[in-house]
Amino acid sequence: MGRSFNTIAFDPSKCDGCGDCMRACASVKYDSEDTSRSLIQILGRETDKGSAFELALCRQCGDPKCTTVCPAGALTKNGESGVIEWDGSKCVDCLLCTIGCSYAGIALDETTGRVSKCDTCAGNPACVPACPHGALRYVTTSNIYNEVGDWEDLFAPGLAGCQGCNTELLMRHTLRRVGPDTVLATPPGCVPGMGSVGFNGTTGTKVPVFHPLLTNTAAMLAGIKRQYKRVGREITALAIAGDGGASDVGFQSLSGAAERGEQMLFMVVDNEGYMNTGMQRSSCTPYGAWTSTTPVGKSSDGSHLSQGKTQDAKNLPLIMVNHRCAYVATASTAYMEDLYEKLDKAIQASKTGFAYLHVYSPCTTGWRFPTDQNMEVARKAVETNFVMLWEYTPDTGVHFTRPVDKPLPVTDYLKAMGRFRHLSPEQIEHIQKKVEENRRIVERLAENAHAA
Amino acid sequence: MTTATLETPREAAAKQKVILCEGNEAAALAVALARPDMVAVYPITPQSSLVEHVAKLIADGKMDADIVDAEGEHSVLSVLQGGALAGARTYTATCGPGLAFMFEPYFRTSGMRLPIVMTIVTRDGITPQSVWGGHQDAMTVREVGWVQMYCETVQEVLDTTIMAFKVAEHHDVMLPVNICLDGNYLSYGASRVELPDQAEVDAFLGDKFVNWHVALDPQRPMAVDPLTGGSGGKGPSTFVRYRKGQCKGMQNALRVIEEVHEEWAQRFGRSFAPLVEEYRLDDAEFAIMTLGSMTGAAKDAIDEAREAGKKVGLIKIKTFSPFPVEALVRSLAKVRALGVVDRSVGFRWNCGPMFQETLGALYRLGRHVPAMSFIGGLAGADLTIPHFHRVIDATEALLQGGPVPTEPVWLNERD
Amino acid sequence: MEQTQYLIVGSSHAALEAITAIRMHDGEGSITLVTRDPHLPYSPTVLPYVVSGRSAPDNIALRDAAFFEQNRVGYRPGVAVTRLDTTRKVAELADGSAIGYAKVVLATGASPAIPPIPGLDQVSYHVLRTLDDATRLREAMQRSRQAVVLGAGLVGMHAAENLVKAGANVTIVEMGPHLTSGYFDQTAAGLIEQAFVENGAKIRTRSRVVGLAPEGGEIVVALEGGDTLRADLLLVATGVRPELDYLDGSGVATDRGILVDDTMRTNVEGVWAAGDCAQARSFYGDEPVMNAILPDATVQGRIAGMAMAGDPGLKPYAGGVPLNTYHFFGRHAISVGSSAVPEGAQERVRFDPASGRHLKLIMKDGRLLGIYGVNEFFDAGVMAQLIQRRTDLSAVQDRLFEQPLTVGRELMSQIWR
Repeated sequence: MGRSFNTIAFDPSKCDGCGDCMRACASVKYDSEDTSRSLIQILGRETDKGSAFELALCRQCGDPKCTTVCPAGALTKNGESGVIEWDGSKCVDCLLCTIGCSYAGIALDETTGRVSKCDTCAGNPACVPACPHGALRYVTTSNIYNEVGDWEDLFAPGLAGCQGCNTELLMRHTLRRVGPDTVLATPPGCVPGMGSVGFNGTTGTKVPVFHPLLTNTAAMLAGIKRQYKRVGREITALAIAGDGGASDVGFQSLSGAAERGEQMLFMVVDNEGYMNTGMQRSSCTPYGAWTSTTPVGKSSDGSHLSQGKTQDAKNLPLIMVNHRCAYVATASTAYMEDLYEKLDKAIQASKTGFAYLHVYSPCTTGWRFPTDQNMEVARKAVETNFVMLWEYTPDTGVHFTRPVDKPLPVTDYLKAMGRFRHLSPEQIEHIQKKVEENRRIVERLAENAHAA
Repeated sequence: MTTATLETPREAAAKQKVILCEGNEAAALAVALARPDMVAVYPITPQSSLVEHVAKLIADGKMDADIVDAEGEHSVLSVLQGGALAGARTYTATCGPGLAFMFEPYFRTSGMRLPIVMTIVTRDGITPQSVWGGHQDAMTVREVGWVQMYCETVQEVLDTTIMAFKVAEHHDVMLPVNICLDGNYLSYGASRVELPDQAEVDAFLGDKFVNWHVALDPQRPMAVDPLTGGSGGKGPSTFVRYRKGQCKGMQNALRVIEEVHEEWAQRFGRSFAPLVEEYRLDDAEFAIMTLGSMTGAAKDAIDEAREAGKKVGLIKIKTFSPFPVEALVRSLAKVRALGVVDRSVGFRWNCGPMFQETLGALYRLGRHVPAMSFIGGLAGADLTIPHFHRVIDATEALLQGGPVPTEPVWLNERD
Repeated sequence: MEQTQYLIVGSSHAALEAITAIRMHDGEGSITLVTRDPHLPYSPTVLPYVVSGRSAPDNIALRDAAFFEQNRVGYRPGVAVTRLDTTRKVAELADGSAIGYAKVVLATGASPAIPPIPGLDQVSYHVLRTLDDATRLREAMQRSRQAVVLGAGLVGMHAAENLVKAGANVTIVEMGPHLTSGYFDQTAAGLIEQAFVENGAKIRTRSRVVGLAPEGGEIVVALEGGDTLRADLLLVATGVRPELDYLDGSGVATDRGILVDDTMRTNVEGVWAAGDCAQARSFYGDEPVMNAILPDATVQGRIAGMAMAGDPGLKPYAGGVPLNTYHFFGRHAISVGSSAVPEGAQERVRFDPASGRHLKLIMKDGRLLGIYGVNEFFDAGVMAQLIQRRTDLSAVQDRLFEQPLTVGRELMSQIWR
């Protein structure tokens, strides 16, 4: 695996152009008050909607052009830190690097007559804490990538997921994390559809894997785990299941296994329907959503007869809380650090009891949104509280891991995809009300946990 | 009595304890002797006391198995599938609605060639509501690739239950096995039973042989049950290879069941006809056919009819699946008229299922034998000696050239 | 005979980029690099700084031995390719050996173009294209009192500045009407000339050397019109051209350089070319041009490598854009894009003689064609992007002209978001 690096991220919507970052940089780097010498440059411009702010900063590119056009070998990308380092003793001030950079990340410093560029202050950039608005973040998630990248990928390359689907990400990461001493159950659905168990003798998985029935995933895994426990062998029993198999026809075995405290990690990839088989409704499909079995009808006079699903989604993770599982959590691929933390906890909990991880997973195909929008849709779900990220243990109760105190209106989420395009104002109102109702329910659980 | 005693019982037989118990308890004791790793249970009448006995044996430390009180029969069998794939010797019991509910994993067990042993404490069903005995449940699933052996006595239940593990785990078989014991009659009927010695049973069963061929084991990773078939690539041939293998396993089971019964007789001094039992058939002109516990009353009726000068014999099927065509044809070759008594209904042919299957065997015989179907003992109804006299008399009429009825005779219609 | 999947001929920017690109896509295929230069890879562009002493010859390597090891490249310096047999796919080498290849990229660069001046073969003169040239020139420079530089391109100008700073009397002789033509416009050239004159150099533009002769350890340089100059050091820097003799009989089509398509492929199967030896399309027209500049060599090398490895991510060459930077006597000049002003294009110029700041923009239909500056601050890479993307600048062109640095950065920040 290649390496990933920490980076300074800029959110222009939070920037008001105050210049504190530039002052901090000039001060730290040159003991100067001249912000034109700052290695991070914020540029204001006027738009129809008021001021907007732009950024010029070295991106510490993965495939940097500046280094390739340097004739003196003065610029090199540090393989450990990812920072593109400038060696003043080699630099001949020819400025060719400024031709190579498309970001104005390396530029001539008038004061010295030499080029200058950001070096991230050796991994502790002064500009970031100086920003009073949170517009600058030092993103350190690369550590995850680098750590995970060293773990064995237990799925074959070329799994056949839909374009833009995040399930492959989930599968690969989860198995990497759990490791080879695992028995994996992937009940009928998108995951085996991607080739986890395989087809006519070929398989995409390097650990023992099987198709349970749609109905008996938790039961079969329970049998497997129990036998290994009986003979004193440590394995992780892992299910990566869809919401349909878990909340509908497979619910009985899921509930039974949870009640018995079977030692396993049951991960549900909730794409809110039977997406693998043609986008039919499941009990996790939200109210109002179009599916192929809750279609939007149109009579000959053009009026809508039916308007998508007429019932609210079953809240499966809350139901699992009421099984008093060893661990229950909801997660979203838009918040990977949160997800990874929960996965770690769930793996740990599965050694002594039933661990349940519910991952909300937008479906580009079934929800009808562009394939490059998966993370955005997932993020909007959380930002509107349509999806809430929380976790539960019997000791600590329910608590939010990423509370959203000022949620966006649910329409911000709904309008991101085609399956809600037909909604009437009344339906939207219903969904907004349900979001708030769900929020209150989880909040109350969380408050009680806090009080306890 | 069908239990034959060898002239010189071996030492092993001498070590056996004699007890009085019901069929359900006998099954539970047999399971304990077979030392499964995992038992999954869900109670259902008339099976309940069987799993209660198992649970108690485990609770009392008389049996070392992991017991899973699953939330339904579907999960019961699913848990055992998981256990078997991880190498466990496994056992459960069910009947009627429970069997219907577990049909999905039931179908799959034979496809995955898992040597799971399951007692069906047979029950009629499902509607009209009935909690009493009858073979309708087991007969309904006869086409799903399990080995099914029907027992006549409590002793046979005990012995066959142990033998079932050996059959199931035989290298040439690797199939799940049902021991069918009649609800009410055998489940609750108490009788004298000889209990084999544990060490002898251990020696008889040998090492377990469960998942050498298909396993979910990180030490030898494999993908179990990938999507198979379709019309392209190697789909058709792959699927056919699997199915043919199952059929071959079923046919091998006929031989293995005979071998195992032979070994059992040698070791424990009790022998049972493994596939087809003949009773007073050698000089018979006609015969009646039975299955399960009804056979006792039928044999008494045969004895009485013989005393009355009728040249009638009896054919009992023990192994119903795979259907013992060759053995049955050998027996059928001895008679010229046949009456077949079923304890269940075949809706499609308007006759008993065993009768229907026997018609196929008669075709193999290559000689016309007039035969008729009797249906009796449904939903716990008694099949008594007088009932069998009616069967004998009606079959005798066929022998004398009477018309062959196209409808079954419903033996309890006026009871 | 040695056999290799990818043969790289040459060892400078284009060659090194080709290796990186191949290894991005093909981790396994064997790579062999042969180059006539005996040193670790270096850039011709750095040589003036070796001459000046600013860069130590042992501190200019673009890659070290570990690079070749890590990328599993068979590295064979000091061996020129003498003949390319494209039928048998064999490269014959100067040491008598040969290498069979499946694919080859020619990145053999260029050599000094030596003008046909009578007497040149009678005198000792310098050129500057290799590290050994630079070392020799540096040595000679220490002793020089009277130096003559033929050619006012960037190589000549750099060397002249070095000679001036080393204390020599320097005369630059240029045939053209002004210095650095082809790189910078007349105003910029004027500013450059002014700086040189202020520092004691003599400039003779529109001047042609008609004869050279040795005399008493010195060289007599005869100019058209009768003037003569005396020199203890003569540097010939009248441009470069590729040496392509080794392609005789290969069937590889050449013009001024090796003709390539938009994937840097030549007309012969299995043969690619990149860098200063290649003649590829121009960004501004279909006519193939020599765009012998460093940034273009890296782009071409990358494309050639991707094409050779069959990388599906390959995007065809967009055409060469002239890009030059030049530091002189503490000042800097930058040129990005075309200096031509086609019909319908506008030229916007501002010049402040006091500060010596000069800026010129060439715009057409709201698009930037070229931008030139001396002592002016803008990001050359950003401007190159605006040109290559043909970004519509109609709404901001006034501001861009006023504040090229700020406005350019604003625009790119928006594009990259």
